[in-house]
Amino acid sequence: MATCGLIFIATFSLVYLFFSDSYWVAYVVAHSNRDLATFYKIAALWSGQEGSLLFWSFLLAIYVFSALFAYRNKNGELMPYVGVVLAGVQIFFLTLNNFVASPFKVLATPGANGALEIFTRADGNGLTPLLQYPEMVIHPPNLYSGYTGFTIPFAFALGALLARYPGEKWIHLTRKWTMIAWCFQTAGVLLGAHWAYAVLGWGGYWGWDPVENASLLPWLTGTAFLHSVMMQEKRGMMKVWNVWLVFLTFMLCILGTTLTRSGIVSSVHAFAQSSIGNWFVGFLALILVVCFVAYVKNRDYLKSENQLDAIVSRESSFLFNNLILLVSCVAVLSGTLFPVFSEWLSGSRISVGAPFFNKVNIPIGLLLLFLTGVGPLLAWRKTSADSLKRNFGWPSLFSLAMGVIVFALGFHEFYSLICLVLCVFVATTILMEFYRGARVIRARSGASFASSAVDLTMRNTRRYGGYIVHMGMVLIFVGLAGAAFNKDVQKEMQIGSTIQIGRYNLLLQSFESKPEKNYTAERMVVEVMRDNKPLMMLYPERRFFQTNQESGTMVAIYSTLRDDLYVVYAGQSPETQTPVIHAYLNPLVKWIWLGGAIVVLGTIVTLLPNRRSVLVFSTAEQPAKALPISAGLTPSATLREGHD
Amino acid sequence: MIRRRTVRRRGAFFCTVALSMAAALPLLPVPAGAQQSDRAREFGKKVRCMCGGCNDTASTCFHVGGAFSGPCETAKATLKTIDQRLLKGDSEDLILQSFVQQYGPIVYVEPPHSGFGQIAWAMPVVYLVVGSGLVALIISRWRKRPIHAMPVASGVSAEMIARARQRVARETED
Repeated sequence: MATCGLIFIATFSLVYLFFSDSYWVAYVVAHSNRDLATFYKIAALWSGQEGSLLFWSFLLAIYVFSALFAYRNKNGELMPYVGVVLAGVQIFFLTLNNFVASPFKVLATPGANGALEIFTRADGNGLTPLLQYPEMVIHPPNLYSGYTGFTIPFAFALGALLARYPGEKWIHLTRKWTMIAWCFQTAGVLLGAHWAYAVLGWGGYWGWDPVENASLLPWLTGTAFLHSVMMQEKRGMMKVWNVWLVFLTFMLCILGTTLTRSGIVSSVHAFAQSSIGNWFVGFLALILVVCFVAYVKNRDYLKSENQLDAIVSRESSFLFNNLILLVSCVAVLSGTLFPVFSEWLSGSRISVGAPFFNKVNIPIGLLLLFLTGVGPLLAWRKTSADSLKRNFGWPSLFSLAMGVIVFALGFHEFYSLICLVLCVFVATTILMEFYRGARVIRARSGASFASSAVDLTMRNTRRYGGYIVHMGMVLIFVGLAGAAFNKDVQKEMQIGSTIQIGRYNLLLQSFESKPEKNYTAERMVVEVMRDNKPLMMLYPERRFFQTNQESGTMVAIYSTLRDDLYVVYAGQSPETQTPVIHAYLNPLVKWIWLGGAIVVLGTIVTLLPNRRSVLVFSTAEQPAKALPISAGLTPSATLREGHD
Repeated sequence: MIRRRTVRRRGAFFCTVALSMAAALPLLPVPAGAQQSDRAREFGKKVRCMCGGCNDTASTCFHVGGAFSGPCETAKATLKTIDQRLLKGDSEDLILQSFVQQYGPIVYVEPPHSGFGQIAWAMPVVYLVVGSGLVALIISRWRKRPIHAMPVASGVSAEMIARARQRVARETED
């Protein structure tokens, strides 16, 4: 508690130094200025190496305190080990905060008597323009909460192994912590993608940049873990695998921050190159050794208990789900590090850019999407042919029919077509599950279908929350499928001239330069017409920040479920000095953000406790209501275990 | 029979003409200006921006660099070179090779399908094959395992495990 309190004081002191414009502190000078909006003075906390590490310690302290407090009087044999692991991780980050990358260094020069004298600058250098965007105030905290949150399941897994604690206890204890960390990680990754989309102005949301990849890696292994733990909970299987998945997820969190901070790989998101990477490499090596030794010494406690009854079963689907997620993770990791390895081994650096990652990951993603639909509807132990027909007959037919229709309508892009067919397939399987369960509840209670579906969800939040998460993933894939049909056009624009993209016509009404408090904006005033009717005005602009002599893009986006009209002011032509407009038409992008929100919502639902069944006594005149709860339920709703 | 042959001949003739016209399309004079720039930007997606600060292509580089720039100066210069060389009539292959000579293989946006670059392409396939093999092995071992045979560590009896399980269930009840 004392550690947590002291880290709180340190963090809020730094925030106070930003708000009080204390330009005698080097970190404040480097990342703020007097005209910086109050909102962004909070974001300045994590905008540099030192502050972001302090912020990491701050979030870690919250997690550690919460975990130790929640189990203060429970699990007496396990918690000392967990506490030691958590303390070990925290000591590492506090060492960095205090001795390697302190954000509290002051500006000082040698005085007349040789002693150092503190001096104050009139103003700071300002925050980098890329970070002066509202999402930058919420994206890093989400991502960091994900990274730091995986420390808790890691500590419990390692603690349980060191304590030779039998059973699935650590999994029960850490399920919610893992879900919380995963939820933050998901939100962080998607907010980062949205930030890249809205700020960088290149028309895309995911460029397979090393830092983006670093955030995706623990998400992939974390997702694999969330699925494979069910094997251990239900069947006592995959114990070794689960422990190593948690270890790997935590190590990938550390590796991610190593890549970001060491300068090993080049990235627009990376912090300045520094020697701090060596500390992370050392820490990573230490974790690996500790985990390996703990495993070797205690592996007898991790043997599986059950056998596999049939290949077509939930168990197999989880194995393949894990395989696909891990292959994707290793492929992204090796692709990210390949330039470094190629330089070491062959002497010339070979770059691995977005086309490579797309070619590798699109088929993997589609396979995963297929398993998202199939896995939850397979029964544990063994799935009968009848069950397969009942669960997958209609979804298969419906999705194939949709595929044929869409193909006939001119949708010929191979991967996008497959993706849409699979999206329809998975969505149908999920909706059928809700429909079957809600129909039974509605028949019994007489409530509306929507409230029956809510009731159904609340009776088994883990299972139906999982379905909601899957539905969110389907929507994300729908959005990704649209990328194959992106269009863009670039043109020098005179006042009054127009440019056409898709069904939109853009008319440049005026072009203005406007000084603001912290920057000067060059802004295009663009009228958007759809089908020759005025629709709205867009104001794409560039901001020039005098303090640090840098500029930033402000993209104007008109977003609908069908497509995004994405308009960028791309500067002035060097020859003619006329403004250049770069317009993109990106189909279905909104579905990605919508899907992300649904994934987060579904994860929150899984964290809610199940609503307990209430016995209802009825009179003889109401025989229907006196039936036991399982009466009339279809086999799919009662006999088969779902996504829980 | 004769009519069917005539129809076939006509079909073959039209196909040949259509294909020839399609093949000749790139040879037709292209209006200067926008269309050439579009082609340059399309080709620029195959060339990495060599500014050293990003992983983008010359066409999609949009990180901020300098006052009011769109793509950074390096990417702009690369696009300008591409545009000029395309206007001169140089083939895309030739232009790409000249960039490779200037910067090395790092200028490719994806690893080349030759030399050391092949390893990058082979890796995901190897992962998938090895992973699938491992899954197959695990499934086969699980299938052969006798039901409810629970290997336990020395000193840990089945009764102890059962007791631990009960305690776990009790302590983790919501």
